Amino acid sequence: MARYGMALDYKNCINCKACEVACKEENGVLLGADKHRIWVGVKEIEGEFPLLSIASNTFMPSQCQHCEHAPCQEVCPTHATHYDENGVVRVDPDKCILCSYCMNACPYDARYVDDRTMTVDKCNFCSDTRLARGETTTACQATCPTKVRIFGDLDDPNSEISQVLRDREHFSLKPHLGTKPKLFYLI
Amino acid sequence: MAVEISRRRFLQGSVAMTVIGGMSMAPSNLFSNEKEHGELSITTKTGTGEAKFVPTLCEMCVNKCAAIARVEDGVVTKLDPNPMFPKSRNMLCPRGNAGIQALYDPDRLKYPMIRIGEKGEGKFKRVSWDEAYDAILNGTDKFPGLAKILDEEKDNRSTIFFCAGEGMAEHTFKTFYTGFGSSNWLNHASLCLRTVVSGYGVTLGAYPQADLENAEYIIMAGANRAEAIVTPDTMDFFKRTKGRGAKLICVDPRFTNTAAKADKWLPIKPGTDLAFVLALTYVVVMEELYDKAYVEKYFNGFKQYKNHLYAEEYTPEWAEKITGIPAEDIYEIARDFMKHAPKAVYYPGRRSTFAKNDFQLRRAMAIFQALGGGIDTKGGLVFGKKLPLKGHSAVAPMYAQAEGVDVARAKGKPGYSDCAIVSGGGSWIGFRNRILEGKSVYPVRGMFLYKHNPMMNMPNVEKTAKFLKGLDLIVTIDTMPSDTVMYADVVLPECTYLERTDPVKTFGGPEPSIAVRNKVIDPMYETKPVIDIMRGLTEKISKPLFEITKKYDEDVQDDIADRGEAEVYKEFDLTIPFEHSQEELNEHAVSGYPGAYEALCKHGVFYPKMEEYFKQVSANEHVYYPDDEKAYSVREGKPKTNSGKVECNLANIAKKGVDPMPTWRKEYEYHVPEGKFRMLTGRHAQFTQSGTANNVMLHDLIHENYIWINKRVAKKMGIKFGDMIEVSSEAGKTRLKAYPTEKIAPDQVFFIHGFGEESEALTWAYRSGGNDNAVIVDEIEPVYGGAVMHSTNVEIRKV
Ligand code: SF4
Ligand code: SF4
Ligand code: SF4
Ligand code: SF4
Repeated sequence: MARYGMALDYKNCINCKACEVACKEENGVLLGADKHRIWVGVKEIEGEFPLLSIASNTFMPSQCQHCEHAPCQEVCPTHATHYDENGVVRVDPDKCILCSYCMNACPYDARYVDDRTMTVDKCNFCSDTRLARGETTTACQATCPTKVRIFGDLDDPNSEISQVLRDREHFSLKPHLGTKPKLFYLI
Repeated sequence: MAVEISRRRFLQGSVAMTVIGGMSMAPSNLFSNEKEHGELSITTKTGTGEAKFVPTLCEMCVNKCAAIARVEDGVVTKLDPNPMFPKSRNMLCPRGNAGIQALYDPDRLKYPMIRIGEKGEGKFKRVSWDEAYDAILNGTDKFPGLAKILDEEKDNRSTIFFCAGEGMAEHTFKTFYTGFGSSNWLNHASLCLRTVVSGYGVTLGAYPQADLENAEYIIMAGANRAEAIVTPDTMDFFKRTKGRGAKLICVDPRFTNTAAKADKWLPIKPGTDLAFVLALTYVVVMEELYDKAYVEKYFNGFKQYKNHLYAEEYTPEWAEKITGIPAEDIYEIARDFMKHAPKAVYYPGRRSTFAKNDFQLRRAMAIFQALGGGIDTKGGLVFGKKLPLKGHSAVAPMYAQAEGVDVARAKGKPGYSDCAIVSGGGSWIGFRNRILEGKSVYPVRGMFLYKHNPMMNMPNVEKTAKFLKGLDLIVTIDTMPSDTVMYADVVLPECTYLERTDPVKTFGGPEPSIAVRNKVIDPMYETKPVIDIMRGLTEKISKPLFEITKKYDEDVQDDIADRGEAEVYKEFDLTIPFEHSQEELNEHAVSGYPGAYEALCKHGVFYPKMEEYFKQVSANEHVYYPDDEKAYSVREGKPKTNSGKVECNLANIAKKGVDPMPTWRKEYEYHVPEGKFRMLTGRHAQFTQSGTANNVMLHDLIHENYIWINKRVAKKMGIKFGDMIEVSSEAGKTRLKAYPTEKIAPDQVFFIHGFGEESEALTWAYRSGGNDNAVIVDEIEPVYGGAVMHSTNVEIRKV
């Protein structure tokens, strides 16, 4: 029993997409440009050459936010989407009927359709691969060149993530929606 | 805070990779496993059961990051970063992660093949290894073999030339070249970092590393470390940018991902960096901001350089007109740099030659860096330490009939090289063009090519094709059916890096180590590592070729009369360097370090006291050496030149017509005619040139390259995102889709290198995007003959 979350030192991100490839290889995510559990949001730069706004060009690494009040879980008619014992938002492919309610409900656009199983898929914190083997990092964390991610148990006050969240300012995405994400962006 | 979180891909729009089913087949199914071909490759989810772990080194680019392969049921299911290697610091980039797809690429070369169609047509027949070796020696009805060629050329071994791309087994292949006795060796350097390595080499005595873990102020000009990943620089650096300890000045004509991390981005006019550095130097010298003690102690020719800067009036105001960078920025950067020196770095970079003045640019950069005293010191440029390895036996016979390198030394003679210095790796373009133009000193008739793709990597593809068609015998050793392999007479399939043990390598730097690429699984199909290929080939050809030497080489004839044939042959026996297995050679190489071989097998990495020093400090961080054991400073700042000084004025190269001091010349100014665009090329993080072009996973990330066109210009021309554009120049044409953006100047266009292969045997790479080298004009740089990549004007039109 844990309450898993992730802190992101997002300013380190160079938009290299190593995390995406590592996730795909680790978790057997389908190939295809639109099939991914993790991505980097990029904004088109503002200004006209040569007067461009450097600050406007941010890279926002993103994935399922593992909300404590997950809208996807609320709308799922079959309880395919559920919280597991570690607070990870999971999808049970055996129960999913691909009604796509959750895809519309997710404010973070975290979900996609796995064409092989015809079910919805998204980040599960490597729960059925790395965590199931007793590993303590996710594939996206381990591979990242600039070490954007810190994964760990938010309930354990001594965990690295708890410490970093105590020590550093951070924000979460779309907090006004009250979803209580467990992904924290470090300032 | 307004942030972009959309999962929509920025460049790809709606272009998703669809299932490849029903795609047209390559002319011969030799290239593809019929069952796998036409189906979407799949990723394998890692299991929770038993697994084997093998430490190896990545070969998806030149960095050689350490990886641990996870093998389940004989299948490689995952590559994880190996935290123990100081150079790669526990990371694998997207390409490193996608190495599995290189191993399981259905288009891989699987069997030895010999040509049955016309040269370049790509029609081959599958043969056994012995038949392939025999074809190399004796030819077929389609092409002559070595025996015939060398007999006709009277044992002039230099009629066969050798070339290799960068890689850990390059040395093994080169050992074969040395024994064979040709004088013509070409490596990728003249298409890559020749000028930067040499510019720093002659000025500081070595091509140094940059300590980006500790530098406080960094000028990164013409290097793009966010997209062209170099380890450990990329990892050390971007954790500290954006107001977190490292101030970054990014100088680049384009707004790159590195620019996005900069404190200041200066869009310089392409090819004018030399003027920028000269003006920085001018300010530092005039305002006496330099480290006087360092200059006093370690500079040669400082006074002359100073007088030269004054005489030529390399002021920021002068540079502003040439570079487009405001004079006040130049003043500010020069002063800030010296304020932070010696913890300031003018980043050396490692890239192709972009402009004709690149060698002088590198000299100017090295001198500017040294003025701040940031040489061989923490936070500056460092030489570091290297752990020496033991060598192994090689053969280097003397062939009296072998001519020297195919370059005439006397000016005006046919075959005279177009560059001042003939370096070990040669000038690829110079070599190709001399032969095409019939200026060769003697007939050059055959080539052995290892892991090298001149059809993609060298400007002017049309000329390369013509050149390849003109050769009598082409032998390629490769893993993929590249555009160049299509021109081969004999194709020898190498196994991928995950299927072989390579020569152990030592990695110098502040935290030196030795690392090895261990074989993860046995070679698939009938592929082999280069060392095995060399063993088989030399067993076949060594004796018969010696017979030809005996026939024409009077020295050998005399020698045999004296000592007997068996004794003489020992020196000509090409099989000797390949007698031992790679594992045995590696064990010998590190035998000076107790426990090293075992550590390398177990961890993939070794350095003395590793067990004591190596520590994990958090999930993401590791310590390799205690701070006071890091070799930041090994010579107390003393340059590695013979004189032990920074060489400002190189009188000896002046004799060869090269400026002895960095000088801006009128001819460096560049003009883009109305209606044309200066063509720029470059890299990004998900591809390594053409080498990864067919990797399905990477292809997924960037399906094809796009041409950057300034948004306002595109609008005027009626060009929208995704429109097909034809790009043309004097050299040729290519086609790719448009990406209108403000990240580029109105008179320039850009697209990344490595796309647009023409080999139909490459399911994913075939005609995806455009090939830059189809349009880049083959101009060479005057000192080393490096290919100049950024001096082509192109026209674009919507098609
Ligand atoms: S691996 Fe790290 S740096 Fe690369 S895109 Fe992912 S989060 Fe960004
Ligand atoms: S698509 Fe599947 S997981 Fe999503 S709401 Fe419907 S049943 Fe639940
Ligand atoms: S935590 Fe695991 S499943 Fe989630 S994005 Fe990272 S690698 Fe993929
Ligand atoms: S930088 Fe990437 S591709 Fe290059 S060696 Fe490292 S992991 Fe491999």
